[in-house]
Amino acid sequence: MKKYLLTLLLSLTVAGSAFAGELESVKGSTQGRTNHQFLYEDGCKSCHQGSGKATANDAACVECHGDINSIEIDENNLTYSEANPHKSFHYNQGASCLACHGEHEKKAPVCAECHRTWFEEM
Amino acid sequence: MFNRRNFLKLGAGAAVGSAAAIMPGTVLASECGKISWDESADVIVLGSGFAGLSAALHAKRQGLGSVVVLEKMQVIGGNSAINGGWLAVPRNPIQLSQGVTDDSPAELVNDQVVAGRGMANKAILEKIADRAMDVYDLCISSGVVFRKDFNIQVGGQNKPRAIRVKHGTGGDITSKLYEAGVAEGIDYRLQHYIEDFIMDNGEIIGLKVRQNYRFPDITTGKTIFIKANKAVIIATGGFARNMELRNAVDPSLDPTLDCTNALGATGEVTLTAMAHGALPVHMNMIQTGHWGSPDEGGFGWSVALLSISWHEGIAVSVLNGKRFMDERADRKTCSDAIMKNRYKDNSPAYPIVFFNHDDHISDDRVVRSLRDKMAWKVDSLEQMAEQFNVPLADLKKTVAEHNKNVITRTDPDFNRKMDTAVELKAPFVVSRVWPKVHYCMGGLKTDVGCRVVDGRSMKPIKKMYAVGEVTGGIHGVTRLSSTSCLECIASGMIVAETIKSEVKG
Repeated sequence: MKKYLLTLLLSLTVAGSAFAGELESVKGSTQGRTNHQFLYEDGCKSCHQGSGKATANDAACVECHGDINSIEIDENNLTYSEANPHKSFHYNQGASCLACHGEHEKKAPVCAECHRTWFEEM
Repeated sequence: MFNRRNFLKLGAGAAVGSAAAIMPGTVLASECGKISWDESADVIVLGSGFAGLSAALHAKRQGLGSVVVLEKMQVIGGNSAINGGWLAVPRNPIQLSQGVTDDSPAELVNDQVVAGRGMANKAILEKIADRAMDVYDLCISSGVVFRKDFNIQVGGQNKPRAIRVKHGTGGDITSKLYEAGVAEGIDYRLQHYIEDFIMDNGEIIGLKVRQNYRFPDITTGKTIFIKANKAVIIATGGFARNMELRNAVDPSLDPTLDCTNALGATGEVTLTAMAHGALPVHMNMIQTGHWGSPDEGGFGWSVALLSISWHEGIAVSVLNGKRFMDERADRKTCSDAIMKNRYKDNSPAYPIVFFNHDDHISDDRVVRSLRDKMAWKVDSLEQMAEQFNVPLADLKKTVAEHNKNVITRTDPDFNRKMDTAVELKAPFVVSRVWPKVHYCMGGLKTDVGCRVVDGRSMKPIKKMYAVGEVTGGIHGVTRLSSTSCLECIASGMIVAETIKSEVKG
């Protein structure tokens, strides 16, 4: 039963968004991504190394998700196949996860600064 | 008594004395002994565009020791990563294969000196041009791919010598130089904002840095101190995105002008260097292009689309439906004419430019512009008038007159050269234009070895170097297309050689 529920949850999450988990309230006024619920159970330090107030960096993302080039994106959702932000002509490996992804709030990806019609806030 | 004025003068001057000691954000020379350094590196490079990446790589390859690159944004590459990927290389293999055998670095410098209108630094331009083939070779060995058989003549240059990277963006180069540097042990840090330089007796000895900074909020992150053993190389680019500074040095640049640059091109390190004595030159020389579109960010597709429109179409004011300029005139003439289009409240009345859609159905310049909604296909002048709020009768009259002029190959109104003009027939491709600020020719004065010059002594500041757009006085009044990439990468080579010679000495 438990396994079934987990599968259901994962599939809902994936179908709900092409990019990342949806935002939900996790602690007080702080929002977080639904697929990161298990991290919030362990407190802030899973991502904010050192102290809860220190800004997080990519290390926590990469630990579970892998590095930027290895995370596949569904090319059907792209304006065209080469406009792949995980294999960007502009940055390739030189982009921080945080340039495009926000954990606690919606964020427009760095690409959208110029390519205004390609990506939505996520 | 210290009033505010005296206080600032002392603080920004030699950074000595008790008044400066309490200046927020300023670290004192006399206090340097007390600084507890969080870390140190032999060479610290500020900024990660073409210039910073090249300087870091060559510092490493010259055996200067540990190299750290500090980038304030969340991506590597600065404005270079979104530039057009053009590179001027006299005597490049593609040029030679095209049968152009009479080019040379000196020919390039001559073109640049003409464009600089007496304000360029010929000695530095020569030193850079002499390294053009080294820059080309570096790109090739780093895995950069250039467009096959593509080498063309671009604005203000007397020979076809501009090659272009495969994907048409400088990111093809910055990503490769970055990956080469990672493989060779260079330490790149994102989100590191330079708060101040730590000076000791006219020498830069380290940096006060905000780590985990999130642009543009300077209260984010925490302060750390990094000691620079051998050199600090400033490669932080221009300041075209700094509206207040832009307006201070050139009030003629209208605040309605957008900018082609990455958002980080705000120039605060230029100002910090100035506060420590670095001499700024040519700060008001800021290059503007008339080919921008208000309907996309950055440099965008507009320039390429307009390369059709200026020849085969017309530019029309939305205020009265009439043409208002020679569409083929130079940047400055067109910029001035375009910016006169204003509503009563002085807000921009973006002019429209259009040409025949069916003459360019599968042209990539058109396809991508329509796809990304910075241009629109309209089926009639009626639809155009409706969509862009132009008086229809005047618009129809303008097109009819233009079509007559196409037959006679004359333009009685603006004396445009009409040899490439085409009779206008719906459907049309329409885009809007408004100039964009593009490049800062001005910045920190450097010598031929990329040493930053102190304005008070006119001598180099010890261990402080600058390369790329952050420097000033190299190009003079106008920088030519495709020469910035060359300058940045070549200067990265030159600065590493300078530091090597000084460390030895």
